[in-house]
This record gives sequence, C-alpha cells and structure tokens, in this order.
Amino acid sequence: MPVPLGYYLGLAAIIFTVGVIGVLVRRNAIIILMSIELMLNGANLTLVAFSVHLQELSGQVFVFLVMTVAAAEAAVGLAIIVMIFRNRESVNVDNLNIMKW
Amino acid sequence: MVTAAFIIFGLAAIVSAIMVISFRNPMASAIALIVTLCSIAGLFAIMGATFVAALQVIVYAGAIMVLFLFVIMLLNLKRDEFGPEKRKIQRTLGIILGLLLVLEVGIFIQAGLGDFGPSPAGDKGSFTSITELSSLLFTKYLFAFEVTSLLLLVAIVGAVILAKKKL
Amino acid sequence: MNLTLIIPEIFLFLWALLILFVDFFTAEEKKHRLGPLSLVGIVITVVLVVFSGQGQAFGEMFSADYYSLSFAIIFLGSAFLAICTSIDFARERIKHQGEYYALILLSTVGMMFLAASRELLSMYVSLELTTISLFVLSAYLKTDLKSSEAGLKYMILGAASSAILLYGISLLYGITGTTVLKGIQAELVGSAFPGPLLVISLVFIIAGFSFKLAAVPFHMWAPDVYEGAPTPITAYLSVASKGAGLAAMVRVFFGSLLPVTSEWIPLFMALATMTMVLGNIVAIRQSNIKRMLAYSSIAQVGYILVALSAASELATTSMILYLLVYMFANIGAFAVVIAFYNHSGTDEICEYAGLSRRSPFLAISLVIFFLSLVGIPPLAGFVGKYLLFLAAIQKGYYWLVGVAVLTSVISLFYYMNVVRQMYFRKPTKNDPVKVSWSLRLALVLSLIGVIAVGVYPDPFVSLISKAASVFVY
Repeated sequence: MPVPLGYYLGLAAIIFTVGVIGVLVRRNAIIILMSIELMLNGANLTLVAFSVHLQELSGQVFVFLVMTVAAAEAAVGLAIIVMIFRNRESVNVDNLNIMKW
Repeated sequence: MVTAAFIIFGLAAIVSAIMVISFRNPMASAIALIVTLCSIAGLFAIMGATFVAALQVIVYAGAIMVLFLFVIMLLNLKRDEFGPEKRKIQRTLGIILGLLLVLEVGIFIQAGLGDFGPSPAGDKGSFTSITELSSLLFTKYLFAFEVTSLLLLVAIVGAVILAKKKL
Repeated sequence: MNLTLIIPEIFLFLWALLILFVDFFTAEEKKHRLGPLSLVGIVITVVLVVFSGQGQAFGEMFSADYYSLSFAIIFLGSAFLAICTSIDFARERIKHQGEYYALILLSTVGMMFLAASRELLSMYVSLELTTISLFVLSAYLKTDLKSSEAGLKYMILGAASSAILLYGISLLYGITGTTVLKGIQAELVGSAFPGPLLVISLVFIIAGFSFKLAAVPFHMWAPDVYEGAPTPITAYLSVASKGAGLAAMVRVFFGSLLPVTSEWIPLFMALATMTMVLGNIVAIRQSNIKRMLAYSSIAQVGYILVALSAASELATTSMILYLLVYMFANIGAFAVVIAFYNHSGTDEICEYAGLSRRSPFLAISLVIFFLSLVGIPPLAGFVGKYLLFLAAIQKGYYWLVGVAVLTSVISLFYYMNVVRQMYFRKPTKNDPVKVSWSLRLALVLSLIGVIAVGVYPDPFVSLISKAASVFVY
C-alpha cells in the first residue's frame, strides 16, 4: 500500500468515533441506527486495511459476514422503530420516557 | 495517484459521516450515509479489495440504505427538533470520546509509520480474487457462514412479526 | 468433518422450524400447546447434547468439549424454565405464540453455537443470532408501550455494543493476523506485543462484552429492558444472555489472551468492584420487583467478575457453577413474580404484602430463591459464592473479596424487604394466588436445583471442573 496502514486505521477510528458520538448525542432512533452503521463501517475499514496489509484474506471474509449481520440488524431495528411509531407517533428516544433512559 | 484518491475518499467519508450525525432531517442523514458508504467502498477499492468494494456498494449502499430510506418515507418523519438539551451527560461523554479519538488516531498514525513495518509484498490484483475469498468462505469459515443463514431467518421472522400491522 | 457433533444444534433448529410450521395449522385457541411442544424439543436436545461425542468440526471453528457441553446444559435449562413460565403468560397476553417459542429456541441455538465456537468470526455471528432474537422477544408485547420501548433500547444498545466488540476484534485481528483463538494465543506468546494497540483492542472487547453482561458502567440498558420486556423473557435474558456473554468472554480471554493477563486483569477488577457496589446499592431503592431483580442480577455479574479476575482453573469452574446456581435461583424468583403478575397484573413490591397468607408456596419459594441469591449456607448460592471467592483469595485479592462479602450483606436489605412485605404485612386482598401446572413445574425444578446443588455439590463441581480444564492456564 502506498498509503501507510496507520492512515487507514486512523480514518477508520475517526469514522467509528463519529458513529459512537452519534449514538450518544442524537435522539432520533433512525439516525442512531445510522450511526451504528457508521460504527460497523469503521470496524470494516480496519478489517480490510489489516487484511490487505497482512495479505491474509480472513479479514475480508469477516467484512462479508458483517454486512449480512448489519442487514439483519437494520431490518429488525427498523421494524421495531416502525412498531414504536405506530404506538406513539414519534421515533425520538427522549420521548420514550415511561421509563428513565 | 493512490494518495490523491485516498485523500479525496477519506475526506469525503469523514465529512459525510459528520453530516450523518448532524443533519436534523433523517432523509438528509441517509443520503449523507450513502456518500460515506460509497467513499469507504472507494477506499476498499484503492486498497485492492475490489470484491468487498463491490459488495459495499451493492449490499450496503444499495440494499440496506434503501431499507432505511423506505422506512423514513413510510413514517413520513418530520424534522427532528433539537429542543432543550436534556442529555447533557451524553454531550460530555461525546467530547471525552472525541479527545480519546485524537489520542487513538495519533497512536495509529505513529504505529502505521513505524511498528507495522512494510507489508508482505504481493500482487494486489490476484490477492483479492473472488475465487480465493469464496473458497475461504466455504471451507475455513463455513460454520460462520451457515450460522448467518439462521441469523437471516431470525431477522425475517422478527421483522415480519414486529412490523405487521394487523395483530 | 465430523458433523455428528452439531446434531443437537441442528435438531433444536429443526424443532424451531417445526414449531413455526405447526403454528401455521393450529387454531388460535389451541396455540398454547406449542409451549409444551417446545419443552419436548428442549428435553430431546439435552439428551442429544449429553450423548453426542466430543471433538471438533468445521476445522478449528467448532469444538464440542466439556466447556460447551456445560454451557449448553445451562442455556437449555434456562430456556426450559423460561418456556415453562411463559405458557400461561403467553396464552393471556401474547399474539403469535408460535414465533415466540420458535425465537426462544433459535436464540438458544445461537448461544450453544457461541459456547462451542473457537474463532472470533463464528463467535460474532452466533452472538448476533442470539441478541437479534432477543431484541425481537423483548419487544414482543407490541401494543404495550413499555415493552416496545424496552425493545428499542435493547436494540440500540445491543447493536452499538456489538459494533464496539467488532471494532475491538478487528484490532485484535490486525495485531495477530488471525481470527482463530488458538492462533491468537500462539502469536501473543512469542512476541513483545503489549503495545498501545493491544490495550485499545482489549478495552473495546471488554466494553463490548460488558454491555452484554450488563456490568457497570455499561449496565444502563438492563433495568429498563428488564422492566419493560415480557417477564418470562426478562427471566431468560437475565440468565441466558448473560451466560452467553460470559461463555464467549471466557472463551476469548482464557482461550487466547492469557499471555497478556497483566493488561486486562486490572480492568476486570475495576468492573467487578463497580458492578457489585452500584448494583447492590441501587437495588435497595427500587419499588418495582422486576427492576429490583434487574439490579440484583447486575450485582451477581459482579461476583462472577471477581472470580474471573483470578484467571485460574478454579475461576472457570466457579463461574460455570455459579451460573448454574444463579439460573435456578433467578428464574425461580422470576417464576414467582410471573405467577403473581398473572394473578394480579402488578409488579410493585408493596403489592406483595401478605403473600404468605395468599399463597404460602409462592412466598416460601421466593424466600428460598432470595436466600440462595444472597448465599446463605445450606443453599446452592453459598457453594457458588464460596468457590468464586476462593478463586480470588487464591490469587491474594483479599480486598476484592472483602468488597464482595460486604455488598452481599447489603443485598440482604432489599431481598429481606420483599420477605418482610410477604410475611409481616397484612394483605390488601385475600384471594389466594393460583399457580398453574407449568409454573409449578418451573418452581419445583428450580427449588430442587437450588437445594440439590447446595446440599450435595460434589458431582456438579467435578463435572464442571472438566469443563474448566479445556483451557491451559
């Protein structure tokens, strides 16, 4: 790789952390789900970078399956959001305060 | 050339990722997320992981994001108002995390320049051939692959049960 | 490839499909019979697990050993008890009963895979199989606001914690160049790796697992989810999902990260201390019994982490034994809560006033389960805690054991508060609380478990110590 591995890892870390911050500060459940996708992408970028660096393919197989898992998670997560929206016309987690957050 | 591509895709990924978490309108966030995913696909491609790059565009930016957009449009969400900030603690946590991130990136970049050493040489074109990847998937990682099929079954059953309107 | 080893899992999976299939042809009023049907499946799976051999399948990925066997028994046991407690609850309050039982079975399959896999990718996928089914189950009361909120919170925090875990795993993969646990260990032994990168990766992995275990400071989802989810699912979550997290965590840490113990043992100790202290103290303030049990189950994880900080063979033995004991006591306690809820529709502790007169059986069972959770001698909880603390003492962690004993004493307060309500308060209503056959079965099995392991622990300990010897310490 002409670009050093560390830069890829740094970039992945930035994307991951942006995702974490999104999960923490946003209140819209759909955007929180998207932030989780960002976190997964940060991890995927790390995996691929290492996989290419080490010339070892299992990292890319990992990414392949992580995508499947992400799809499953997104499907169930969005289904829960749709269900909640039907119940209370909102997807904001702060509005969900029957119990304390 | 590759360095230039890295800078472009990297900047696009970071900027659009920040846009994802800062837009008020979920639709705009979703579009920004598609940009992030495509830039990451670009990064995969310049690393030589072309198959994963293709998957990233087709599965992630294609299928998963369509699901998101579909739900956003289905629910017809209004703008997410910021309103009075109730989650002060989370804000602080976010800032702390940001600082930790700076440290972490520093470590990575330092490590990238020094500790990891040169990558074992290899021709990248042949390295990520679909044949090798799939043979690994169906031999060494067959177990994980099969478990994924159960996972998808659970996701189908779960999503149908939860999202079905008639009880 | 020796496929006979995964016959139990395949069977349970097919049984879940059978339930879905039968559900399709069953009239609505007969659907409660699917519960006993799934119980039959679990019993057959237990037999298959015990008699299917030991060995490895799928290369290094899957290994049926005593470790996975003992965890499989715990998972199947808690699924059995949870389904027993579900039957009446589901008949009254749950639509789509077939899918409900099928999802419980499928998440159990995921847990069994998790305990048996010896490679990070299979672990990650199995863990997701487990948690995604649990997301759905905790949101299962669709029109109930609390349940759907519980589902949303569990989903967000569960998915985020999986992503954190995945990030840690990706760094570990980068450091060692392999995802197979044995290979990771081999890489770590030879080299002078403990650099900042390894520490970062361990922190992320521990944080990810701590979410699954609901260890402080990653516990904030647990009380809400436990309160909101359907109570039988709460019972299942509090034992099985914690067990799954522990099975994977111990497999990763004792199976591959022992060469670098100095990096993670302090973190375990810190987690253990915070978890025990906070879990027990906050539990005192709770007025809802499900919330109280949620905090109590947080605290119980703290005790297990005390032993895990010791990273010895005894630590693994005591952890598995404690999980077994905790399964009986905790699901038993939840069975009482469910029986009471089915009758009265409330979970408030003050409503338990005078339960000893309305149902002496329920009251005395709850007392026994609580005493076992505290760790009072003739009961199983004592044996479990004794071994946990012994493991820590052997390594000289006296202060940690001191904190554990002290917080156990604190835990007496909130358990005894419920006992005081049941025995020394006048009941507000006088109708006796009826207990159905399935709940009675769950209660009797749990009572037998709590007493048998307490009075005669030797056979259990010797069996489980075989499980602990799969790791080289």
